[in-house]
Amino acid sequence: MSPYTIHAKFITIKPNIKLKNKLNLILFISFFLAASLTIWVYYQTTNRTGKIEFNKDIDDPEFVVCDEDRILQYYSVKTSYPGGKREIKKQFSKLISNLTFKDSGLITFRFVVNCNGDVGRFRVKMVNFQLKKNHFEDQKIKQIQKEIQKLKKWNPGKWRSESFDSYYVLNFKIENSKITDIF
Amino acid sequence: MKKFFKIFKIILTIVFTCYSIVIIYFIALSPKDKRFKFAEHYQGIYLSQTMFDILIWQYPTYSDAYFEKSVIFNKTGAYEKGSLLLDKAVEIDPKAHLGYRGWLVLRKLRSYDNALQDFDRLDSLTPTVADAPWGEGIDFLRGECYFGKKNYQKAIEMFNRNIQNQKEDWVDIQSFVYLGLCEYELGNFEKAISEFRRALNQYEHTPESYFGIARAYQKLGEIEKAKEYILKAEENISFKRDDVYNEYLNEIYLSEVLEFKQSLSE
Repeated sequence: MSPYTIHAKFITIKPNIKLKNKLNLILFISFFLAASLTIWVYYQTTNRTGKIEFNKDIDDPEFVVCDEDRILQYYSVKTSYPGGKREIKKQFSKLISNLTFKDSGLITFRFVVNCNGDVGRFRVKMVNFQLKKNHFEDQKIKQIQKEIQKLKKWNPGKWRSESFDSYYVLNFKIENSKITDIF
Repeated sequence: MKKFFKIFKIILTIVFTCYSIVIIYFIALSPKDKRFKFAEHYQGIYLSQTMFDILIWQYPTYSDAYFEKSVIFNKTGAYEKGSLLLDKAVEIDPKAHLGYRGWLVLRKLRSYDNALQDFDRLDSLTPTVADAPWGEGIDFLRGECYFGKKNYQKAIEMFNRNIQNQKEDWVDIQSFVYLGLCEYELGNFEKAISEFRRALNQYEHTPESYFGIARAYQKLGEIEKAKEYILKAEENISFKRDDVYNEYLNEIYLSEVLEFKQSLSE
């Protein structure tokens, strides 16, 4: 074997190794990108804004939903309380006359009505009338939540006679230190 | 065999790359109207909100993207987040979004003064147009605001203006119902009855009118007539005005109709 032949082998083999490595690298990058995008799209399409997940620190463990992956919105499945908002206001009449607040604004409760008509997983948001974040006394919030929990046997959301878990929203309007409206 | 693997790897690389390009194109590079429609259709899922974020980033003055992104927040009671986005949409294009914001503030938050501010401002920006925020006459909505504020005289003025603008035969019959309710609240019971009847002339299945007439007759001491109309209210309750999203200000319930019927028998 002459020195020229060896030299020629180097010339021919080296680019092949380079090309093979490059191809593997490009394949890996394209696979990684495609896999990452797939995972990201899956996450983006299976999660919804406003999802309330169980939080062991604040939620009642005895309250269970029927299908964790399928909690719908009240307006999609017509979740309601028997007798409607009028009945809710009636149930709250004692609290409305007794409870006083230092500030004005809206207290919004969002919670789950499960497929059996029970309620749980309460979350609360508070804003003033300019819709900027506001805060009302924790104790008052707890009192309202307890009163909502007393509302039993909701009409769960239904679609084609099948019952579903759903989210419900209840607003309490606070004006002149009193609850003036519930809607 | 080596050649086969090499070709296989190249094909896989092309497939993976094309797959990624299609996803990226669809989410971030396709025509903005197409992306907007997709995100609007799939309202609420994270991907929809992300696509609005991308649209806002690419087109900072795309007011519809701010508006549409706000919708799910307002529907789920996250009013602070929703209003930040909606305020931005109004700031960019007040003519396009003031009406919706007023409508939302009235119907979802019952914040009558804020809703009136938006309706009045919209009206001043479009003096030659009869505005119809979210498909409802602006004067009808203003009337509801004044009704909510218990300013019944002003509410009557607005509902009458709405009827004049939209004409008696075409106007939403709830304008007549509200007129009846306002007159009732002002103690004008006979006038209230005549206003409720205007709604019935347009559509005989208006339980709000039957209920209103029954209450007015009761106030006038005509109990037999009150009984007659409360029965009609009960019969027609399935035609009542309701909405899956919100309770209307003048919404009636079977329970109160039955309670009133009971009170007439005592």
